Amino acid sequence: MSSQAGSPLVRMSSVSKFFGSQRVLDHLDWQIRPGQVIGLLGRNGAGKSTLLECMLGLREPDGGKVTLFDEDVRTLSDARRGNIGYVPQASELFDWLTPTQMLDYFKAMYPRWNAAKVDGLLSRWGFNDTLRNKAINKLSGGEQQRLSIIRALAHDPALLVLDEPVSSLDPLGRRDFLRELVGDVIERGTTVVFSTHILSDLERVAFDIAFLKDGRIALQGGIDALLEGERGAGVRAAPMSLEDLYMDVMGDESRDLAHGVAP
Amino acid sequence: MTNHSASLFSIVTGSAEPIYRQLVEQVRRLVAAGQLAPGDEMPSVRDIAQALALNPMTVSKAYSLLEMEGVLARRRGLGMIVAAANVPGQPAERAELLRPALERAAREARQLELDPDTVLTLFATILKEAK
Repeated sequence: MSSQAGSPLVRMSSVSKFFGSQRVLDHLDWQIRPGQVIGLLGRNGAGKSTLLECMLGLREPDGGKVTLFDEDVRTLSDARRGNIGYVPQASELFDWLTPTQMLDYFKAMYPRWNAAKVDGLLSRWGFNDTLRNKAINKLSGGEQQRLSIIRALAHDPALLVLDEPVSSLDPLGRRDFLRELVGDVIERGTTVVFSTHILSDLERVAFDIAFLKDGRIALQGGIDALLEGERGAGVRAAPMSLEDLYMDVMGDESRDLAHGVAP
Repeated sequence: MTNHSASLFSIVTGSAEPIYRQLVEQVRRLVAAGQLAPGDEMPSVRDIAQALALNPMTVSKAYSLLEMEGVLARRRGLGMIVAAANVPGQPAERAELLRPALERAAREARQLELDPDTVLTLFATILKEAK
């Protein structure tokens, strides 16, 4: 089982990112400890994908610093990089290849590729021989997403980052994915960061949640404590559902007006 | 002595009651009602996590709380069992376990501006239906 101890595995310090004149990340500070399973919430366009991309060094921030495994993300060693699994929001999986060809290609790049696990997942997640030998761009959105998840899990990464991993999956596909996550992945003590809009999944799987708002982590904490009303620094609120909490944190002035509170 | 499966539990998401607390309440109720008897083996954390698609840390947290309260006991190498000290409580004691659910229902009834008689009649009907 995971431990909460140790120095942060992910450390983002004062990270800023602009798109033109628009500030997406605003001196954002965020730390993730080894073994944490943390859900990232934020409105559409809040910058969740940008945040995850900056975290992984796939996007250069305009300011601030990111370290992964105590190494600067810009000069991350291959060994460290091989310890990360990433499911991007839009899969760009060499889509002219077949699943078998694509996975063989990645297998050659990772020293710790778990072939038995890949085969097990392919079988359990409906990839029969026909599907394994069909061009990826001919697969459905859900099939492509499952394949992207299999690729990210294949080398038993120590850090798994998932950007809306279930957005194209039907409820059964989502449940299969959650079972894999709560079984093997979390049991091995993997640090997991995932963004999603599906609060029920988050409630089942995440132990901690973080809210991205106005370019910063506006609130972070254990999901249980937050539902029970803890808000940090001795502040307490009434117990509420995750959905109400989301409204509370993300809500704007128009909502306050509806409650009769001056903006 | 019975081995219980993970189907003992059911949880709902979207509630103000965290999942670990739902699990704790369910075990308390089942023990109070005698459905879980002393010495019964509880399903493993892993089985519950898989069956309900829950973070195993959440299940562990519920089991640890129940252990601290003396409802469950940890047997070395064998997982959790229902603690010996638990005997089915008196009806009044068991009814007390229903209080949180009824308080929630009462709150909603007030919000719907229902009078007590209507609510009690409805509850009586539901109790009969469930039999």
